Amino acid sequence: MMAIAALTMVSCGDDDGPSEPAATCSDGIQNQGETGVDCGGPNCQPCTVEPTCTDGIQNGDEEGVDCGGSCPNSCDTSGVVEVTTNITSDVTWTSNNIYELQGRIAVTNGATLTIEPGTIIKAFAGTGANASVLIVARGAQLNAVGTASSPIIFTSIADNIELGQTAGTNLNENDRGLWGGLIVLGNAPVSLDGDAESAQIEGIPVTDPNGLYGGSDPDDSSGNLQYISIRHGGALIGEGNEINGLTLGGVGSGTIIDNIEVVANVDDGIEFFGGNVDASNLFVWAQGDDAIDIDQAYSGTITNVVVVQGDISDHAFEIDGPEGSLQGAFFLTDATLFGLDANEADGEVADYRDNAQGTTRNVLVTGFTGIGDGLQLSDVELDNDGVANNYTNGLLVFENWEVVLPTGVTTSAEIFDDRSTIGSTFEADAATFSSAVDNNGAATVGADTSAFSWTYSNAKAGLGF
Amino acid sequence: MKLHSIFFTLLFLTTSFLSAQEGVISGTINDGEFNDVLPFANVLIKGTTKGATSDFDGKYQIDIEPGTYTVVFSFLGYETKEITGVVVTAGKETTIDVTLNPASNQLDEVVVTTSVTQNTEASVLNLQKRSVALLDGLSIQSIKKTGANDIASAVRNVPGVSVQNGKFVYVRGLGDRYTKSVLNGMDIPGLDPDRNTLQLDIFPTNILDNILVVKSSTADLPADFTGGVIDIVTKDLPTRPEYSVTAGVSYNSSMHFNDNYLSYEGSGTDFLGFDDGLRDLPIAQSTNIPIPAQDGVTVRQLTRRFTQTMAAQQEQSFMDFNFGFTAGNQFNLNEEGDLRLGYLASFSYRNTTEYFEDYIDGQVFRKDPQFSENELITDRTQVGDLGVNNVLWNALAGLSLKSPLSKYKFNVLHIQNGESNAALLIQENFNVNSNLNKRDALVYTERSITNGLLSGYHTNEDASWSVEWKFSPTLSRIYDKDFRVAPFRINQNGTFTISPSESGDPTRIWRDLQEINLPGKLDITRKHSLFSRDAKFKFGGAYTFKNREFVVDQFSFPVQSRGGNFSLTFEGDADRILAPESIYALDTQQGTYVRRDSNISDTFDSDMTIWAGYLSEEFRLTDRFNAILGLRFEKFDLVYTGESQVRGTFDNEKILDKADFFPSANFIYDLNEDANRKVRVSYSRTTARPSFKEASIAEIFDPITSTFFIGNIDLQPTYINNFDVRYESYGEGTNFFAVSGFYKTFQDPIELSFIREARGQFIPLNLGDATVFGAELEFRRNLGFIPGWRNFNVNLNFSLIESQQNFSEDEREAREDNLREGETLADNRQLQGQSPMLLNFGLDYDNPENGWQAGIFYNVQGETLQIVGNADIPDVFTQPFHNLNLNVSKSFGKEQQSKISLRFSNILNDEIESFYKSFRATDQVFSRRFPGQAISLSYSLQF
Repeated sequence: MMAIAALTMVSCGDDDGPSEPAATCSDGIQNQGETGVDCGGPNCQPCTVEPTCTDGIQNGDEEGVDCGGSCPNSCDTSGVVEVTTNITSDVTWTSNNIYELQGRIAVTNGATLTIEPGTIIKAFAGTGANASVLIVARGAQLNAVGTASSPIIFTSIADNIELGQTAGTNLNENDRGLWGGLIVLGNAPVSLDGDAESAQIEGIPVTDPNGLYGGSDPDDSSGNLQYISIRHGGALIGEGNEINGLTLGGVGSGTIIDNIEVVANVDDGIEFFGGNVDASNLFVWAQGDDAIDIDQAYSGTITNVVVVQGDISDHAFEIDGPEGSLQGAFFLTDATLFGLDANEADGEVADYRDNAQGTTRNVLVTGFTGIGDGLQLSDVELDNDGVANNYTNGLLVFENWEVVLPTGVTTSAEIFDDRSTIGSTFEADAATFSSAVDNNGAATVGADTSAFSWTYSNAKAGLGF
Repeated sequence: MKLHSIFFTLLFLTTSFLSAQEGVISGTINDGEFNDVLPFANVLIKGTTKGATSDFDGKYQIDIEPGTYTVVFSFLGYETKEITGVVVTAGKETTIDVTLNPASNQLDEVVVTTSVTQNTEASVLNLQKRSVALLDGLSIQSIKKTGANDIASAVRNVPGVSVQNGKFVYVRGLGDRYTKSVLNGMDIPGLDPDRNTLQLDIFPTNILDNILVVKSSTADLPADFTGGVIDIVTKDLPTRPEYSVTAGVSYNSSMHFNDNYLSYEGSGTDFLGFDDGLRDLPIAQSTNIPIPAQDGVTVRQLTRRFTQTMAAQQEQSFMDFNFGFTAGNQFNLNEEGDLRLGYLASFSYRNTTEYFEDYIDGQVFRKDPQFSENELITDRTQVGDLGVNNVLWNALAGLSLKSPLSKYKFNVLHIQNGESNAALLIQENFNVNSNLNKRDALVYTERSITNGLLSGYHTNEDASWSVEWKFSPTLSRIYDKDFRVAPFRINQNGTFTISPSESGDPTRIWRDLQEINLPGKLDITRKHSLFSRDAKFKFGGAYTFKNREFVVDQFSFPVQSRGGNFSLTFEGDADRILAPESIYALDTQQGTYVRRDSNISDTFDSDMTIWAGYLSEEFRLTDRFNAILGLRFEKFDLVYTGESQVRGTFDNEKILDKADFFPSANFIYDLNEDANRKVRVSYSRTTARPSFKEASIAEIFDPITSTFFIGNIDLQPTYINNFDVRYESYGEGTNFFAVSGFYKTFQDPIELSFIREARGQFIPLNLGDATVFGAELEFRRNLGFIPGWRNFNVNLNFSLIESQQNFSEDEREAREDNLREGETLADNRQLQGQSPMLLNFGLDYDNPENGWQAGIFYNVQGETLQIVGNADIPDVFTQPFHNLNLNVSKSFGKEQQSKISLRFSNILNDEIESFYKSFRATDQVFSRRFPGQAISLSYSLQF
C-alpha cells in the first residue's frame, strides 16, 4: 500500500523563496527596529538623512544615484561609453566619458588602448568568469598615462564619482570586491611549476587565449602605466582566489610603470608574476591580502613604496621565489610600511617564502602590532627551510631596515623571525641590518612620501603626504 | 484514493484464486539452441494423466494435488528431461524452469534426469550457456547468498566487474565511459553530472530478477554499448501468490551510537528522502542582487532569506535499518485460463548512517623543483570528520496481461534518495598559499528516478513470427540543495577570521540537473530454415530522445566591515555568519551580505536523438557451429543551448551529427556433442559518445574540488573495435570453467585532461589512440567430490587487464619536463580508472534440508590510476581494498518461510586509500577513510 501511495507523491517544491516579512520601509509604521517612521535601524535608510543629491544613494525621486528627478544633476548618459567586447584594434578612451566595463574585456594581441589623463573607468559587479576585468593581453599595449592632477581612475559602478572629479563620496577603504581588477600580461620570462613557458592567469578560463602570460622576451613592452588609481576591486574568481588590484604577469622591461595607487582590493594590491619590469612610486591602502606580492622569479626593481594596512590586511610584503628551474631575483628599495597597531590576528610586515630570492633595502616599518594581551606581534618572517637556505647562501639580502618599535618590543631585531627548521643567522643579523627609531620623523630610510600627494588615499585618509 | 481500492480488489481476487486442496507446478521452458524460450513443448506429470503445453512465452502451469512427483519435459527433436523429487504443497506453487537441448542424434530418445535443486541453481548458468553473446549473469539467488543489498555491491561477484566508490560499475576495468547501464534493456539517465554512467548503489536488490553483464555486442544492442552493458532486469510477474516482508539492522562499531557524529538541522521530510522546502532556492535566478553601496535595503532583505545554519553539529549517530515488502500474484480472467492478469508491487526503505573520523581527502603533494630531489613536497593537507546520512526508498508496481498470443507489461519504478553530509575539515596550505583553515561543509543531495515501462510481445500460431516493442520513459533529477561552506582562517594565536583572500568567502550553492529519456524500440523475429537447419532472422529499430538541463545558482557571503576587526571572526562559529544580528544593517553599514557568484556559462540545455535500425541472422553452419551476424545503423544528433563569454551563444545548434554502421559477428563452436564445451569468438564495432556536459561550451567552477570544468564543443565520438575469444566448459549442475581473452582498440578515446598552462582547469579531449587487452578466468565448482562436502561450492574469478593510453601533447611535455634524474618516460600510461587486476573469491555452504546457508566472499582490485598527474603533481593511484565479508543464514518454520541472516562486513578492517606515487619517492596520501566493520542482522518472511 505504501508503495502505491508513495508513487502518487510528488516531491517537487516550488521555487519561490520565503515570503517577505510584513513590515517594510514603506508601510508608514515605525516597526522592525526603525528609529523613525520607515527609516533608521538596521532595515531602512537612515532617518537623519533626508534624501539629498549627494548622499550616494538612489533615493527620493532620483532616477539614478544622486541624479535625475529633483536633483540638479541629470542622469544624462551621453558621457557614458559601455565597453562590452574585446578591444581588437587601436582605441582611445577620452576624459569626457565614463567608461563602463561590463565583464571580462581584453585588449588583444596587436591592439593598443590609449587612455587619456582624467578618464574614469567604472566596472560592473560580477564574479568568476563574469568578473569585470580589463586584461592587456600578450602583444597588446596599454597606454594609460595620467597626471598628478588628472589621474586615470578605475573604480566600481557603485562609486558616485563623476566626470572631472578624482573621488566619489559614497565608498571608503572598506568597500572591497566590487569589481575585478587591471591585469597586464606580457612575454617576459616566468619561472613556473613544472617548467612550462607560459601560464593562464588565475581564474580566467583557458578558452580565453588572452589570459596567457610568460614567454622569452625580457625586453617586452606592454605600454605605459602612469598615475593610475585602482579602487574597490578584487572580485572572486575561485575559492580563496581573487583578482589583484594590478596584476603584472610576465611583464617585460620595455614597460613603464610608475605612480600607481591601489585602494581597498580584496586580494593583493600589486602582484608581480615573474617578468622583469621596473616599477616606482607604488601606493597600496587597506588591501585584503598582501600589499606587494612577488612570485615566479620576478626580477625587476621596485622603488619607493608606501603601504597602509587596513583592518583585514595580511602582509605588507609577501615574497615568493622561482617555481621552476628558471632563477631570478628582485630588488626592492625605499619603502615605508604603516601597520595597524592593535591587530588581534594577522596583519604582518613581511613574509619571505618558497625559495624567495632578492634584496629588500631601506625599509621603514612603523605602527605595527607589538606584544600584549590578545595581540599578535607583526613580524618579518623567513617561512621555511628553502628561504632560510637562500638567506644563508646570500640569495636573500636585507639592508637598512628601521623600525618604530611597537608596544612591548625592545629591539628592532625582535620582529625578525626565522621559522625554518634548519635555522640561519637571520635573527642575529637583524641586529645589524635593522635599527630602532623613535618615530617616523627620525627615520633615515623609507619612501619619499611626497611622491604620493596626488593620491586619493592621501586626501581620504588625511595622510598629510 | 482510487489506487488503494484497486489494490484491495487485487488482494481479494488473488486470495480467492487457488483452491485450498491443490498445488501448482509452473515454470518456463527454454530453448537450448537459441537464447530464447521454447513454445509448445510438452509437460507431463509422470504416472498421472495431468499435463500441459508451454505457451508462446515458454510458460506452463499445472494444478495438482499435493505430493512428490517426477515431471517430464519433451519437444520434438529435443532431448527429454525428467525432473525428480518435485514437492507440491497445498495452496502453493512450485517453480521449475528447464532448458531443453536439441537432440544431436534424432533417432534415439535422450532422457536427462536431474533433481529439483540442481536444476534451480543452474538456471542462470543455462542462460549464459545458451546466449550467443558473451555474457555473465548474476541471479537473485546468488546475490542473496552474498547478502548484498544493492546492485553495486552485488555485481562485484561477476568476473571482470569492478566497482568504484561503491557506486560506479566498470566492466573489465574500463572507465565509466565505456560501461553502459540499462534498465530492462532500455536507456536510463545518469544521476551524476560528472559521470557517463548510472550509479548502481541506489538500486536495491529486492526489485531484481537478475543482472546481466554483456561483454560482446550484437546488432540488437545499442551501439554505445562500448565495453560492456549491465542490464538490470526487474522482477518478472509471478505465476503464484508471492508475499514477503523483510526487516534488518546493521551496526558499525566505529560509526554508530557515536557522540561525535556530525549532522545539521534538516527538514521535516529528510527521513523520506526529500527536502520539504526548507532548502529551497531563496532567490530566483532572475532576481538581480545589488551591492550594499547601491541598494542596502534590498540586499539586506535578500540576505535575510537564507537560513542561518552553516555549522556542522555533533550529535549521536543511529544505526542502519531497513524494511520492505513485496506482493505479487496472477489470476485468470476467463474460464479457459489463457487470459491471465498478474501484478507485482514492492517497496523498500533503507536508512544508513556513516561517520568517518579523521578522514583525509584532497591533499596535494608536489615534485621538487630540483630534479635531483625525489621526495615529494607537501602543499596541502586536509583532514576532518564527516557524517553521512542516506535515505533511500523505492517502489515498484507492475501489471501484466497475457493472452494466448500476446503479452503486455506495464511497470512503474520510483527511486528516491536523500543524502545529507556534514563535515568539519582542517586544511593547511604550505606552498601555493600558506595558511591554516577550518571549514564547515554541509551538503544535501536529492536524487530521484521515475521510470515507466510499457511493453508488448506478440506471436503467431506457430510462433514463427514474433514482435516485441518497448517504450520506457524516465525522468531523473539530481539536485544539490543548499550546499554550504563556511571557511575560517585559523590565526597563529588560535583565533578565527573570515579571510576571503586566503580561505574564500562563505558560499552556498544549488545545482539542479534534470534529464528526460524517451527510448522506444521494436524487435521482429522470424524463425526460418537456412542450410536445412533452424535459423532466426531478427530486425528492428529504436529511437531515443534525451534532454538534459543543468542549472547552477551560487551565492557567496562577503562581510562588510568598517574598521577594527568587526564581525570577521564570529569567534569561529559558522552559525553566526548569517545570524540576524550579523546581517548587513543600514544603520551601521556593516555585516554579511549576499552576492551572486553563478555565471552564464554554468548553465546548459542539450538534446540527443538516436535513430537506429538493425538486421541480424542467427544460424547453424553445422550441428556444432552456431553463428550470429548482424549490422546496426545509428544516426546520432546532439543539439546544444548555452552561453559563454568567449565562445558566444549556442541556441539549439546541432553540434554533432553522425551516421555510422556497426557490424558484429559472434561464433560458437561446440567442442563435444553435449555442447558442454564451447569456444566462442566475437567481433563488434561500438562507440562511446561524449556526454552532455563534455560536448558543450560550459565553463563550470566546482567549489567542492576548486577546479574549473571546460566543455569541448569540438569533441568527437570514440570508435572501438572489440575482439573476444572464450573457452567454456559446463560440468554437472553449476560446475563451470571459462577462460577468455579480449582485445580492444580505441580510436580517439575521450579523457578529461588537464591544461598545462592553467592549473585546476580540465577539459575533455580526444586523445591519441588507446589499446586494452586482458584475460579472464572463471571457475565454479561444487565440492561434492570430497565426501561430506556436497553442500559446498567454490567460486573464483580473476581478470588481468593491460591498458595503453597515448599521451596528449601537453601531457607528454609536462611529464618530460618533470622527470627526476634517472627517470625515463614510458611511451604511454594506463587508462584512467582502469584496474589492472580483479579478483573475486567465494566459498558457500547451502543446505536446503536444514535451512543453513553460509558464505565467505573476498574481493580485491589492483592499484588503479585515479587522477592523472599534472606537471609537478604526481599521479594518484587507488590502493587495493581487501574486502572480506561473511554471511550466515538459517531458514526455519514450516516450509522454511522465515529466514534470519547475519552478515559481517570488512572482516579484514581494511581502509580505503589513494596515494601519490612518484619516481623513488615515498608514497603520500591523497585520501584515506576507514569504513569500519559492520554486523548486520535481517529477518524475512514469505507467505
